Order: sequence, then structure tokens, then C-alpha cells
Amino acid sequence: MSKRYERFLSAFFCVFLGGLLAWHLVLPDRDRSETENRLLEQMPAFSWKALADGSFTEDVEKYFADQFPLRDQWTGLKARMEQALGKREFHGVYLCGQRLISRVEAPADGLEIRNLEYVSRFAEQAGIPVYLGLIPSAADICKDELPKGAESWDQAAYLETAKETEEIAGSIDFRTPLTDHKNEPIFYRTDHHWTTLGAFYGANAILEALNKPPLQITDYTPETASTSFQGTLYSTSGVHWLAPEPIEYWVPEGTITVTSWRTGEPEESPLYDRSYLTKKDKYSSFLGGNQPLCVLKNPTAEGRILLIRDSYSDALAPFLSQRFAEVHLLDPRYYRLSPTEYAQENSIDTALVLLSIPNFIADRNLVLLTR
Amino acid sequence: MVFSSLTFLFAYLPVTLALYFLTPLAFRNLVLLVVSLFFYGWGEPVYVGIMLLSIFIDYSHGLLVERFRDRDRLARWFVGESVVFNLMLLGFFKYWDFLAVNLSLLPGVNLPVLGLPLPLGISFFTFQTMSYTIDVYRRDAPVQRNPIDFGAFVTLFPQLIAGPIVKYKTVAAELNKRQVLAEDFSAGACRFTVGLSKKVLLANAAGELWELCLGAQSAGTLTVFGGWTGLLAFGLQIYFDFSGYSDMAIGLGRILGFRFEENFDHPYLSSSVGEFWRRWHMSLTSWFREYLYFPLGGSRRGTPRTLRNLLIVWFCTGFWHGASWNFILWGLYFGLWLILERFVLRDALAQTPAWIKHFYTLVVVFVGWGIFAIEDLGICGRYLRTCFGGGPLWSASDGYRLRSYGVLLALLILSSTTLALQIWSRTPERARRVLTPMLMALGLLASTAYLVDGSYNPFLYFRF
Repeated sequence: MSKRYERFLSAFFCVFLGGLLAWHLVLPDRDRSETENRLLEQMPAFSWKALADGSFTEDVEKYFADQFPLRDQWTGLKARMEQALGKREFHGVYLCGQRLISRVEAPADGLEIRNLEYVSRFAEQAGIPVYLGLIPSAADICKDELPKGAESWDQAAYLETAKETEEIAGSIDFRTPLTDHKNEPIFYRTDHHWTTLGAFYGANAILEALNKPPLQITDYTPETASTSFQGTLYSTSGVHWLAPEPIEYWVPEGTITVTSWRTGEPEESPLYDRSYLTKKDKYSSFLGGNQPLCVLKNPTAEGRILLIRDSYSDALAPFLSQRFAEVHLLDPRYYRLSPTEYAQENSIDTALVLLSIPNFIADRNLVLLTR
Repeated sequence: MVFSSLTFLFAYLPVTLALYFLTPLAFRNLVLLVVSLFFYGWGEPVYVGIMLLSIFIDYSHGLLVERFRDRDRLARWFVGESVVFNLMLLGFFKYWDFLAVNLSLLPGVNLPVLGLPLPLGISFFTFQTMSYTIDVYRRDAPVQRNPIDFGAFVTLFPQLIAGPIVKYKTVAAELNKRQVLAEDFSAGACRFTVGLSKKVLLANAAGELWELCLGAQSAGTLTVFGGWTGLLAFGLQIYFDFSGYSDMAIGLGRILGFRFEENFDHPYLSSSVGEFWRRWHMSLTSWFREYLYFPLGGSRRGTPRTLRNLLIVWFCTGFWHGASWNFILWGLYFGLWLILERFVLRDALAQTPAWIKHFYTLVVVFVGWGIFAIEDLGICGRYLRTCFGGGPLWSASDGYRLRSYGVLLALLILSSTTLALQIWSRTPERARRVLTPMLMALGLLASTAYLVDGSYNPFLYFRF
């Protein structure tokens, strides 16, 4: 081949490597990644000590990777190539047609059994009826959508075990109603949570178990708060080509007052914090995201219920508040005091341990229930 | 630093190439030495000291051997000193813990386990420098009087950490005088891209599949089919990983003006175990042949000595791959097959149809990979028992894995043959001219995407 051509090839190689280096240098460093929801590594400060123990060069490598030009696009490109090769799993998330479903990993060192024991001890000491509500994830409800032969931990078998938990007043059967409606959008396509519709069916499952009148779907006019939601599974998987999806608010604001401990102090706050709708984390607009404690009050209803809960309850609580005068949401990850004492101090008459199965079997904070 | 990292590709390499080519010819070895030491010190900065010590010892011993050439006993003594030093260096950092653990099993012996990190590439550079003094003594290579040129040879970053094992005599001439033509640069760049793609796109993906099969073994769900899939995946992973790395080294060497010898020649096409070892990691096999097997007397001193020599060489080959019993077993396993082929099977193999010989070789080699891959001999035994019928034949997960990795496996298998080369050599030159930059762009883009994805680490409010 001619010399000119050899030079062209050589230059092409150099321009690719050197060009990306130049781009990297020119590109301003970012503080955080919305997609990955974490702070990005910054250029480490040099010190001889850090150099000697190897941490300096390690941090430089992290910095270089974190601040790489078009970081999210490269990841998307990789997912596309994997898909073309026939792969259906991306960082533990299955691509099932036009939706994503997270695989449930088998729990470690018997935690799933220990957590049931904690619930049992809580039920024993609480002095009020304690119900257990374990919400199966899409990997169970929409099992037939998973790629053929794809593995996911058996949640249905676990629910059978959980039913037998001693001392509890009863367990909520979410599996039957959710399975009945599995062809409706009850889980987000790009997020691990249930949708407002899914939470509506969930609320009715709870009301039925507690002998309260069910909610009627015809009573609600859904408000589409956003049409551009791309959830956690979108981020984890790197599958960036699925269409964004809507977030709906069903229960109207106004009739319900919300007291939230988001800042550590009780304060009035909205049922829907719309400031999150302009961010990536749009699901957090329900009650405003992670917080130790949150209380919903509805003067027109009766009864006080305490939920020991995870983020699935954010979408669910507005529905429950339609039938309870007070719905107390306690998140054991942030609320470190005794739930039993909390229930007594606030004259709670029913408690419900309400978590999604993937969270429940992996949560190391539930020992707090026994305080 | 490894070649398949973003820092190497997009920071170290462009800066190094710029420095190298902007420097006048006379100073290029100095640049090479400096950038190579930087490359070496990147992962474990304190070990630069070991490298400098190693350069000093071998450089001075080369001079001593040359100086006392007339007094053969003294010259031999210095060769021996250099060999002992290199072996002690290797022995201390690589084998101390293994020896300590095993010798402490003896009553009354209690050696401490140090847990030192292994200096990068120590298995490679000690072998290279050992060959230097031996070659000087044998007059196979000229002595190197310039410490910078010698240092550049020892630390040469393209082959420093994963081979091929470049003997001094191969590059002696180029070390003193070399030029880089546009042809060398572009051919080197293509070769490097091929190696990078093999490592990042093929080897890592095969590795995932192997991990899945190994995971099935520990979960107790491994099937016969899954077991063989795993062995196949591991064998392909290690081939593409290692030969990819060699390709990158050879490519980078070419860019810098060196021609290293080939290290792999489509080993999975072999039709005997002996042939496999003439095609696999050729620089290591030839090193052991030249510096261990022949000095021991090779096969010229009767059958018992030949058997002994073969067993010694294959024990060493196995042990060189890692300080653990499974590697020793792996080496001896091949030693036994080679002895069998040489003394028992030779006539039978000569009359066997080619496809059966090929199949036999692959089974021997891939079962060998099982021994190589699983350090715990108990787990290894259970894994291999499953492969040979100690489990169900097939499960639904096998189907899922096959659907997920089938295309890739087919690609891997085809890529381990000469098919691509044959197609390429039959492609008209005009088409090649168009395809080359396109394929290069594809390889670089795809590899970059996989490397960036490897650092992708979403933190999710996932638990709550």
C-alpha cells in the first residue's frame, strides 16, 4: 500500500487517541452524574504518601474514567452492541421487549428468614395488630415476560413462607390482585417501583385485609404530572433507547395535610413535591423522597395506621390516607428509634410492615423493629 | 497500568508517542526507559526500585561475563550469579507465600506468610534478563555497554507485563539502530487495535460466561452441558486475553520500531498436544526449550533422561504460571500427555483421521483449562466430574445462557481459526483499503464503549 495511505491510517489512529485526550482536557469536569446518581471523581491532589501507597494513581484512573467525554453515550453504545449479540441482561436488569425488569438476587446469609423473625418479635411486643405486606416485584408478577430461562429468585415461594410468620395479625396478599392486572401498567417500564395504578391496587389489597371499604377507580381523574420519567432501571442497565414514561397523580392535593421530617424537623409539606419533576429522580416527587418520618392526616376518615415502609409506600400512602385519619410512614433506614414506642405515643391502632420483597430480603435495618 | 484501560489508551499512549517521535533518534532509548519506568511505577510505585536493581545486576553481569570470557570458570560463575539473582527475585515475590504455607505443614517448620503484592510482569522480565547473560556467555548476543539502552530493553513497556518474552538477541540490533516507517506505524496500529478488540470485546465477554458457569457450579446447578460450555468459555477467554495482549505488545513494538516474535499461532487448530504447545505462548515454550530442556540434555541421552527432562520442564512450565498446586498439576498433566504422545500414541495417532486427532487435542486442552482455572483442587475435581456425566445433562438456564452468548461463542470460535485471515487475504486490495480504517474505527469505538461501561457504576436509591 502507498506511503500516503499508511500515513493516513497512522494519523487516523493518533487522532482517535489524541483527539479524545484533548476533548477530555478541554471538557469541564462535572460534579455529579444524574444518570448514575452519584458524585463523580475529581482530580486527586498529589502527595508523596498517596503516590507511595498507590492511591494517587488509582484515583487518577477513577477520575479519568468518570470525567470521560460522552460517558453516558458510550455506555448506551455498549448496551446496544450487547443487545445485537443476543444479550438480554444488562448489569442485572433484563430487557423484556420494551420494558426493563430487575433480577432479584438470592438473599445472603439467611437474612430473609431473620427479617421475618424480627417482624414476628415486633408483632409480639407492639400491643396492636401487626400485618405483614410484602410486595412482589415485576420479576415475579410479570415472570412470563422475562427472557426464557432467565433466573430470578423465587418470590412466590418466599411469600408462602412469609404467610406462616408467627404473631402477625395477617399478611396482605398483593400477589393475587397484581397478577390479575399484570397486563395493565402496574410497574414502571424503566423503574423498579410500582406505578400509581399499581399502588391503587395495592391500597385496595390492604383495605380489604383490614376490612375497610375499597376505593373506586372511577372516583379518580389521573393528572399526568410528567411524561419524561426515566427511572432507576434505565440508569442501571445502560439501556437508554426505551421511551420515557408518564408519572401520574391520582389523589388530589388539598384535602390531606402532610407533615414531613425531610430536614429532621417536622414541617408542612406538599403531597407531591413538584420540584422533583424537573430532575431525573421524578418518583421522589411522591411525598418528596427519602425521609425518616412522614404523617398524612385526613380529618374526614378514621383510624391511625403505622407503616414500616420503603419507597413503594410513597405512591401508596395518598390512597391509604383516603380511608385513615392518620397514616404514619416510618422508614427504618432513617428512623432509628423504637417503632413500638412510636406506635404507643401516637395512639396507633394498626401497624403494617410494608416493603417490596427485593428490599425486605436485603434490608439490614429491620432489627430496629425489635427495639 | 494495563493496555486495556482508558488511562493507557487516551492519556499514556498519545503522550508517550508524541514524546517518542518528537525526540531525536539518539535519545529515543532514554525516552523509552523513562516512559517505561513511569508505566511500570504506575501501579506499584515502590517496585520501580526492584526494576532498577534488576537492570543494574544484569547489566553489570553481562559486562563481567564479557570481561572474563577468557577465564571460563569465572564467566560461568557470573552467569550463575545472574541466574540465581533472577530466580531469587522471582522466588521471593512469586513463590514465597506458597512455599511458606506448604513447608509450614511440616512439623517444626513455621514460615511467615508475607502477602506481598506481586511486582508486575516479574515472571516475564526475570526470564528476559536471564536469557541476556546466558546469551552473552554463549556468544548468541553481543554485550550491551550502554546502561540506558540495556535499561530500555528490560523495561520496554509494550512487553513488560504480559509478554511475549523477548530475548535480548531478538532486539539487540534494533535497540542500537532502528527506524520507523509509515508502514511500521500503520501496521502496528492495526495490530494493536486487533489485540485491543480481542481483549476487551471477546475475552471479557467469554469471561462473563465462564463466571456464570462457575457460579452455577457453586450453586449446585451445573449440568454436563453447562460444564463444557464453561470450559469452552474459559479456554476462549484465556486465548483471546493472552493473544490479544501479545498482539497489542507486538503492535506497539512495531510502532516504536521493534519486531517481536509471534507468540500464538492459532493453537486451537492443533491436531496433537505437542502441536498445541508449538502454537501456544511460543515465546515461553521456546525459552524453556532453549534455556532448560537443552541444557539438561534434551532427548539425546536415552529414554530415562528424556522422561526426566520432560517432567522437569513441564513441572516448571506449570509452576511458572502461578504459585499454586493446580498450576503444577496442570504442567505435569501436559507433560504426561506429551510423553504419551511421544512414546505410546505416536503410531496410533499417525493412522488416526485428522478430525479425531483434532477433537482429542481439544478435549485434552480444555480439560486442562479446568485444572488451570480452578485453584481449589476439590472444586476443580467436582467441576470436572460434572463435565464427565456427574450431573444432569441440560437445564433451562443453559438455554438462557446459550441464547445470550450463542452468537458470541460462534464469533469466538470462528475468530480462533484462520478463517478471518483467509477471507482478508482474498479480499481485493481496493476493498481492503476502504475496510481497514472502517474496521479500525469500529474496533476502537466498540472497545472504548466497553471500557467506559466497565467504570459505569450507578449508585441507586435502589434499596429504598
